[in-house]
Amino acid sequence: MYRKQVRRRRAVLTLLVIGSFLLLTITYGHSSGGVQRGVSTIFSPLQTVADRALKPARDLVDWFDKTFDARGENSRLKAELVTVRRQAVAGQEALQENAQLRKLVELDRGPALAESAYKPVTGRVIARSPTVWNSTVTVDVGSGDGVKVDDPVVSGDGLVGLVASTEGGSAQVTLITDHASAVSAKVVPPGVQGVIKPDVGDPEDLILDFINSSKAVHGGQAVVTSGWRAQGLASLFPPGLPIGEVTSASIVEQEASQQVHLRPYADMANLDLVQVLTGGSRR
Amino acid sequence: MIVTPKIFARLVAIVILAVLLQLSFFSRVEFLHTSADVLPAVVVSLGLLGGSLTGAVAGFSVGFLVDCLLVAPLGGSSLVLLGAGYLAGLFRERFDIHSALVPPLVCMGLTLFAELGFAAVQVMLGVDAPVSVLIVRDMLLKSIYAFFLAWPIYFGLRRVLRPALVEESRVARRRQPTVLGRT
Repeated sequence: MYRKQVRRRRAVLTLLVIGSFLLLTITYGHSSGGVQRGVSTIFSPLQTVADRALKPARDLVDWFDKTFDARGENSRLKAELVTVRRQAVAGQEALQENAQLRKLVELDRGPALAESAYKPVTGRVIARSPTVWNSTVTVDVGSGDGVKVDDPVVSGDGLVGLVASTEGGSAQVTLITDHASAVSAKVVPPGVQGVIKPDVGDPEDLILDFINSSKAVHGGQAVVTSGWRAQGLASLFPPGLPIGEVTSASIVEQEASQQVHLRPYADMANLDLVQVLTGGSRR
Repeated sequence: MIVTPKIFARLVAIVILAVLLQLSFFSRVEFLHTSADVLPAVVVSLGLLGGSLTGAVAGFSVGFLVDCLLVAPLGGSSLVLLGAGYLAGLFRERFDIHSALVPPLVCMGLTLFAELGFAAVQVMLGVDAPVSVLIVRDMLLKSIYAFFLAWPIYFGLRRVLRPALVEESRVARRRQPTVLGRT
């Protein structure tokens, strides 16, 4: 009886392991389509409800986390923290949302998007991947709102990522901190161009691998999307979208490996409201 | 674990609730720049309560659901989490859990195992960017968080699944001691 149980257990385990490998082999590299889309469509309303219901709890933990961080900082930050606490009492949540929406509106009117054919669709982040290996978020706008695969996504602070897949009422966004992400960008003012890649595991660090240039890059300089267009091909991002600020740009590193480090403007860990730039000129 | 239709429904609800909570809450709040991953802890707790088969099936289901919702390559998370669930179940079948410290410690160890597993699967599938050493800190912090979160998770799940659990201690107390040589 016991042996039979052990055999059954081993058989189920073997079946599950083979099943996992089969799924990996079949779905890696191409979309697994129907199953994932179906499950996402079913769970999307549940995720939206869970997101709304858990927002106060998330804000509370965020508040504790920020307080913990601020303890180690200088007196200026401590003074700022007092202000933040007062704001929290006075309904910080509403103020933050308002500020985010204002930023988004400013970005709509900014030079990067004013001339382009992009139509921004505002959405809220409803889910986030649990591992740092896949930096993806789910937003509550999808193909029903005009969102398509490869649409750029921005927050009030700057570039966030690219739409990887869409369903009726939701879309998955691959963040610029995901290992599969690559964004063509340029440093302003020198105009040094390159490709931004993430430093997997560190969401506050991006690496700009740039084309050989005689112009030196310095800390504090801004990096924006380059939005190139050549031989019928075009970048997925409109030009001039802010990405981040150069943090470390040692001459040795620039000469040896042709790269500089930057910090993204967008706070990837606390994304809430974002805009999907639909209907770009590339289509 | 005796899996009746009612208990099966509870297990399905636990899996769905855990995944929704992870994606909508735990992944989106950070403490010391790292978010907690409760899914390995839930799978390990189910393995510790229900045995290796329950652990493996729960791990596979949780991984499958997560990959579906995140539109990630299917199978990666399933493979790692079914391993964690199976090992937890095997631990329960081989050893008695005498101390309340054991489940959190097992959760911590197997969460680290799962994080290493996720890294191994990702390396197997290919990583197109440099990897920061901060990822080690992330893994260690996630396992420490799992230790603390395992208390409410394990004891909460034990309460929910109580009707299905075979309590070894009560069985052992009732059984007459075996005396060698008696006819």
